[in-house]
Amino acid sequence: MDLCVFGVDDGYAEAIIRGLRASFLTEAQYQQMKNCASIPELKSFLEETDYQNCLQADNPQIPTSILRQRLKKKLADEFEYIEAQSTGTLTKYLFHLRCRFMIDNVVNMIEGLKNKIDIEILLSNIDPLGWFPEIKNIKVLEGDDYSSLYRDVLIDTPIGVYFMKFLEESIENLHENRTLNDIQNLFREMKPEYIRTSLKKMWLEDFYVFCEQELMPTSQEVLLELLKFEADFKTIQVIYNSIGNRDLNTAAKIITTRKQLCPTIGNLYPDCEKMYLQAMTLDTLREAVKGCDNYRDLLKDAPDPLKREEFNVQTKTLDDIMYDDECRRYALAFDGQGSYGVFYSYLKLKEQEIRNIIWLAEMISRKLAKNHPGWKKIIIPFSHLGK
Amino acid sequence: MKYYSLVIPRESAWVVMNELARLDQLHFVDYDPQLPMINRPFANYVKRCDDSLFKLSCLELLLKEFKKNLNYCENVDSLLDYYQQVQQDRMKPGHTYFDELEQEIEQKKIQIQEQSANLQNLLDRVNIITEQQLVLENAKEILGQSMFQQQVPHNPNDYQQLKFGQLIGVIDKEEEVRFKRIIFRVTKGNAWVQIKDLNNEQIDNSMRKSFHLNQNNTSQPRCLFVIVFPGAEESSSLKIKLLKVCDSFNKQRIEYPNSMDQVQRKMMELAQQLQESKSLIEMTKQQLEQSLNKLVLQKQGCNCSYFEYMRLYILKEKYLYVNLNYLTMRGSIFTGYFWLPEGMEIMVEEKLRNAMINNRDHYPTGQIQQIKPQPYTPPTYFNLNEVTLPFQEIVNTYGIPRYQEVNPGLFTIITFPFLFGVMFADIAHGFMLFLCGIYLIFWKNYLLKQTDSMFNLMIPFRYLIILMGFFAFYNGFIYNDYLSISLNLFGSCYSPEKDEWKRESKDCVYPFGVDPVWQASGSSLNFMNSYKMKLSVILGVIHMLFGILMKGVNTLYFKNYLDFFCEFIPQLLFMICTFGWMDFIIIVKWLNTYENNTDPSIIETMINQVLKPFDKPVNPVFPNQAEFQLRITQILTLIAVICIPWMLLPKPLILGSKNDKHKVSMSDSQYQPLVSDKQVSEQDEDSNQEFDNDLQNVANLKSFSEQTQEEHDSGEIWVHQMIETIEFVLGGISNTASYLRLWALSLAHGQLAEVFYDMCLAGKLDIGGILGGLLGGYFYIVFALLTFGVLMTMDVMECFLHALRLHWVEFQNKFYKADGYLFNGYSYKKILNDNLKQSNSK
Repeated sequence: MDLCVFGVDDGYAEAIIRGLRASFLTEAQYQQMKNCASIPELKSFLEETDYQNCLQADNPQIPTSILRQRLKKKLADEFEYIEAQSTGTLTKYLFHLRCRFMIDNVVNMIEGLKNKIDIEILLSNIDPLGWFPEIKNIKVLEGDDYSSLYRDVLIDTPIGVYFMKFLEESIENLHENRTLNDIQNLFREMKPEYIRTSLKKMWLEDFYVFCEQELMPTSQEVLLELLKFEADFKTIQVIYNSIGNRDLNTAAKIITTRKQLCPTIGNLYPDCEKMYLQAMTLDTLREAVKGCDNYRDLLKDAPDPLKREEFNVQTKTLDDIMYDDECRRYALAFDGQGSYGVFYSYLKLKEQEIRNIIWLAEMISRKLAKNHPGWKKIIIPFSHLGK
Repeated sequence: MKYYSLVIPRESAWVVMNELARLDQLHFVDYDPQLPMINRPFANYVKRCDDSLFKLSCLELLLKEFKKNLNYCENVDSLLDYYQQVQQDRMKPGHTYFDELEQEIEQKKIQIQEQSANLQNLLDRVNIITEQQLVLENAKEILGQSMFQQQVPHNPNDYQQLKFGQLIGVIDKEEEVRFKRIIFRVTKGNAWVQIKDLNNEQIDNSMRKSFHLNQNNTSQPRCLFVIVFPGAEESSSLKIKLLKVCDSFNKQRIEYPNSMDQVQRKMMELAQQLQESKSLIEMTKQQLEQSLNKLVLQKQGCNCSYFEYMRLYILKEKYLYVNLNYLTMRGSIFTGYFWLPEGMEIMVEEKLRNAMINNRDHYPTGQIQQIKPQPYTPPTYFNLNEVTLPFQEIVNTYGIPRYQEVNPGLFTIITFPFLFGVMFADIAHGFMLFLCGIYLIFWKNYLLKQTDSMFNLMIPFRYLIILMGFFAFYNGFIYNDYLSISLNLFGSCYSPEKDEWKRESKDCVYPFGVDPVWQASGSSLNFMNSYKMKLSVILGVIHMLFGILMKGVNTLYFKNYLDFFCEFIPQLLFMICTFGWMDFIIIVKWLNTYENNTDPSIIETMINQVLKPFDKPVNPVFPNQAEFQLRITQILTLIAVICIPWMLLPKPLILGSKNDKHKVSMSDSQYQPLVSDKQVSEQDEDSNQEFDNDLQNVANLKSFSEQTQEEHDSGEIWVHQMIETIEFVLGGISNTASYLRLWALSLAHGQLAEVFYDMCLAGKLDIGGILGGLLGGYFYIVFALLTFGVLMTMDVMECFLHALRLHWVEFQNKFYKADGYLFNGYSYKKILNDNLKQSNSK
């Protein structure tokens, strides 16, 4: 039924996305990029592709950070255009998508300020997709006083809700008779990465609920599947990274942290929750997720986190494996008609493409030998279609 | 069209290509269309040209901003001559001029952009200063004197002992609300915030206007904020926090002086700074204008601005390199292939000699060599002029003629306007169209300058329009139709006598066109319909027969005798025996007088010819010769029926048997050409030519394999032939019927004209008096508008479209293959002309 009326409001936006789908670089183009000998050559290659306009004004010897910024700006412009063309639920939906980037930006700012990086540099590095006017006011942050940061600045922003929840939860978790000092200590020890993971978890859960309640069945079918997978991906990542993590010394602490960070949605939750919370080695983790989907196969090739020190460029890390699988799933979302899944997938896949280009640019600028395993470490969106 | 190979040594590649581009007659063949442009030897040059063009477009923006008007080039030839002149004066290898220009553009761009950036900076600075002035003035108003007087100690217990600090600055207008909120939250409400709009828009504008700058980057509206908060000490945490907040809004904050005197002094200082900046701006602006003027200036002997001169040169250079990329590079030699219209070899060789002479180092220039046989079908080349261009366009829109097939464009020149004229037949309307054509032809130069004139778009079609007008005029006389009234020009043969029309004498015939008396008779419409209908069928059959004859010409030219005997002849016979015969009896019927209601019906005769082949016609067309007519019709019907299997069967049968033979001898023949070419190559000592011959062999093999691919299996041939036959036979009927649109449109045109005349003019003129005059004037206007709007625009379009269809479908499907491709000459003139238009329309 919803296919009949989908086009009324969202047909145009979807059509744009379908058109933009053609702008993805192909495998042959990646091959050509790999053959580039220098950054100017790479740049002139990119000027032949859809990225032409965003690079033309730049000097040929473009630093990778600026390159990334340009590519992201283009993506953001496209996204903004689509957003401007959308109405009703789609607008809300697209805004939700933006929140993920806002979280990243806020956490990056906090991290940068903690490390005393100049605010101008930080501002020039923010992801244009997640820009919001208050972002520059994060400068107000004093020390580790996140609660006043929230109170002064973030309260008005779209991600204020998540931040508030995060603060509440972290304070609740302290023992009963907490003092102001305890709270300050808590914040001081808190790693930005931790903030990021928890905020994203909240966002994901919130987004999931939004999709479940407001979207039409066709969109739900595609999106909930993707979100569940993403949640599982997060869960596995959290567990995997906490195995053998030195900061978490006691078993109880590991479990509480994990419980805080693992999303409460997805295929793994709640059936396997007990198992994975307890998993202390890679094998037990594999055992814990075996009931679901093909996660066991995914984990089969993952290197053991306990031997983290031995990792080098050649190792295909868990992230790589996961991204690979993710890309395939996102590309599949383009097969269906009349769903909001394509917007989500488009963003994700374009992000992957930008990551690829930047990775190659790094490889090129370091002048690594062509047989270096790093050259293979890119995941090409839609490459499974050729097979 | 002949196929040539071109060999150029690397050193003289540029010179040769430069010379050849002036010739306009070479069609370069891409040696490998699959190869992406970026992987070709001169991709880098093309890229550099693009970069330079991009820089030039940046400069163009600036030029526009400063309202500099460029002189655009109007005559490409003289510009090209000028380029050549410049090259000769330089006494350096030709291709290096591009490097010079590239550098110059780069320098100019940097210089001019720097200057404009300076100017921008200065303007911004002026903005900031004026803004500061405004802020100070406003702050003085808001804070008043009392701010400075708070040092005076009051009662120690009084809350007023509390000192107040203040922060003053500027923020963007749109951030006003957020700013207020954050301040409120940070201070928990313990601060007084005052926000006031600054009308700096005004300053901005006046500033910019005085420098003739475009208003492209108007700054956002800003506003002034004043915060007063408790605690004046520098180190109070509230102040630090507020400072941070204010700074995070990224706009300027102003230290407010401590006393009234200082405020005054600061104002003075600012005023002085403002003055300085203004004079600086004036200077920078002059410099900038100077460098921009250099771009606008025309060099001596050149017919356009220097900027345009550079732009067109770079475009030309890019075009050269793009075409050079079509050549293969082997060591220090370029090899390429091109098509050349017949008889142009001498010109090419002369150009090559020229290149040698013009070349400073006298490097050997290239040589050309004809390649036989031609591996690909050559492009189709038209030598057009302004008259034939629109007609060829009409044909090309349907499809480019196959190489050397009969070009329908030639016949279209007359048949198209004529068929149009048959439909649009009206003396007055035709004459108006004719006048329009005359206007376009004689006022062409004047109209070309009027860029917004509607006539401007019609200029390329002026000869088409004048011919259309002429034939409409002519056919109007034939139909004797002048705005739906018949003209009695030569005196009608009939005169009214009592209630009847009396013919003056038995031999009296109205000399040209239809006797105007028909209009006075009651059966005018019936008569005209039957007449026009018959006329259009006659025209149609002649047109189609002509098309079939062209097929015959094609088959004879290509020596395709199978098609000649098995398609052309039966088709011709079929057409003549059916519709040709019909035309014949129509004319016979016109020539004879029939008595006592024995006039035959053409349709009945035609139907009976097939349905009752053995019955004598009741009302014979040939009076009293029913027997004779029956014989003829029987013979004709028999021929037409025989023609159908004749078209269908022999061709596929013969092709099929040929195929079988071919398959047997295939194994031998495939290798024969290779051997014979080897012999040729042995004779040639030159290694270059050997290489050429190798390529030629490859090409031969390619064409050979293509030939083998063309051999469809016999099933496909049968299906194809069946479709063709059915299409022709059925098409013969439906196409003839299709030509009835000649009658239908002419009828519609005549009826419309009549309606307008009857409604608007007829009778209104008789009223008389002032009222009659006014009414007549009014209705005349209505009549004129309707005639213009409906007949002169809509009906012209309609008739045009139908004439188009008659040519594309009914005429051209008889013979026209239309699977050629257009000759695309390598020509500077073309590329520059294409780009000229662009810059003019901007």
